[in-house]
Amino acid sequence: MKTYGTEPGAPTPVQVGISELAVSDGDDTLKSYGLGSCLAIALYDPKTGIGGLAHAMLPDGDAAENSDRKPGKYADTAIRALLRRMVEQGAHYTDVKAKIAGGSDMFEFESFGEGVGQRNAAAAKAELEKLGVPLEGEDVGGDYGRTVEFTPGTGTLIVKSSNSDNGVTEL
Amino acid sequence: MKLDVNALGTFYRMAREGAGLAAGRLTHMLGVETQLGVTKLNFMRGEEIRHDFDDSTEKVGVRVKLTGAIEGYSIVVFERESALQVVETLLSEAGPDAAVDADVGDVDAFDEMTESAATEVGHIMNSGFIDGWADVLEAVIDVSTPEFVEGQTAEPFFGDIDEAPSDDDLALLFQSRIETVGTEVGFNHYLLPKRESMSRLLDRLRTSDGIEYDKLEGFDRMAERGAKEVAETATTLTGIDTSVEIRRLNFVSLEAIPEQVANETLVGAAFEFDGMPSGYLLFLFDEESAHEIVDAMVPMAVDEDGFGEMGTSAIKELGNIMASGFLDGWANVLDTTIDHSTPEFIHDIGAAAVDPVIIQLGENQDFAFVFDTIVVADGREFDCQVYAIPDESDLERALNNLDVDRIEETPTTAEFQEVDNT
Repeated sequence: MKTYGTEPGAPTPVQVGISELAVSDGDDTLKSYGLGSCLAIALYDPKTGIGGLAHAMLPDGDAAENSDRKPGKYADTAIRALLRRMVEQGAHYTDVKAKIAGGSDMFEFESFGEGVGQRNAAAAKAELEKLGVPLEGEDVGGDYGRTVEFTPGTGTLIVKSSNSDNGVTEL
Repeated sequence: MKLDVNALGTFYRMAREGAGLAAGRLTHMLGVETQLGVTKLNFMRGEEIRHDFDDSTEKVGVRVKLTGAIEGYSIVVFERESALQVVETLLSEAGPDAAVDADVGDVDAFDEMTESAATEVGHIMNSGFIDGWADVLEAVIDVSTPEFVEGQTAEPFFGDIDEAPSDDDLALLFQSRIETVGTEVGFNHYLLPKRESMSRLLDRLRTSDGIEYDKLEGFDRMAERGAKEVAETATTLTGIDTSVEIRRLNFVSLEAIPEQVANETLVGAAFEFDGMPSGYLLFLFDEESAHEIVDAMVPMAVDEDGFGEMGTSAIKELGNIMASGFLDGWANVLDTTIDHSTPEFIHDIGAAAVDPVIIQLGENQDFAFVFDTIVVADGREFDCQVYAIPDESDLERALNNLDVDRIEETPTTAEFQEVDNT
């Protein structure tokens, strides 16, 4: 959900809705609610404190025609768009690290094939590897939903899972 | 008049764009953060639009008439309290000198000044919406002087508009919501286009043969039958007297669907269905309602922590029978058969249960028709949200095959199926 505000660093966490991405250089918290098979991708540069969060829906943007209009929709194009925007704001490409969460497979429907959640996580890992961005932490898979909160300044990704065994994980 | 998904998609973009501009202007005007709620294209009967308004809350609206590329009415509606709060903020921003006479700390009725301030806000927001539309259409839309409207029912808002649909007419209605962050101020925007003007636009924007507008009658009948069957089967199975509170047909972007679902833990059942059309069907209850249902269905069940084996199978069984009823309702209208999978139990954050479905559909489509139904019970907790999301191309084909003349005669017969709980 897009927030139309005037003051940067407002206390309310910035909500990153499905197919959206947001980059911040302050202590803002970026938040995505109710990830099922969707994947939250958090990138951050620990030296500058610049980072961003994407809430990707599908794995492969290069194969889709509208990925230039909606880069946040696809895991691969979301990572590239986050990186570009972070570098534009002063982050150093070579310092950037990544964390991912989500990508569970909630239902075993015939039409779902091998699992959309798994494919999202795999696509993100492949793209990160291709770009040489180290994956510092992950909480992916399973059959339950997650809500994530990311603070770019510290690189902390808090994952609240709806599965009572897992509870809250800090990546 | 014919419509297709491409044209509706453009409409959706217009509405979204307009809502963004309106939100931006509101932020600028009041100095508060605002955010967009869900934007929807609804196909609604006049009767339902009136029902929507008749919630016995005091509302105020600012209405303008549109001519040019779109003809019709654009109305910003806010709850009376919200309007007064906005006016208060606005007048206090203007400084004490601007409001010598008014006790701005306690505005509780509209006088000349507050009414004109509210009209100003409403007009600026209307203009935001309309500018967004004009941008996307690359065309000029002319706007009349704004009119301040106040009342509890639809009558003062739509009553004197010729273009307003009669009770049985199916109208295309654009709805958006804007909220201020951290306060309870919210607005709804309605755009009610004139039928001929819509028809012209649809012809311009359509990229395929599309669906005859009259066939939408079939959509509406599907929604009606499906909802009715759900309420009836739920009553039969749980002994709780239920009725259909809301049923509507939305056209939304896939991403907007999870945003619509309550941001809390929900309980329910999910299905995939196969036929013409194929798609996904979800029944979602809040936890309290789900417990009530389990109690009603298996009174002997020990008080389990959460939803144990008994609870889970009760919810799955109820879901399964409601799914059969719902899809039989559709199949009867469309004169076809629709099969559905065994139920998948859901006990999770609402949005997380919906996103796998939109991801799956998202491989081939950007938008979806969502049959959105709420079933409630008198005096007891039974809030059931039903989301039926068919595959778009299947639905288009199914509707095109539909013989509109036979819709009226369609009987509904729900068959009960045994659930395989293994």
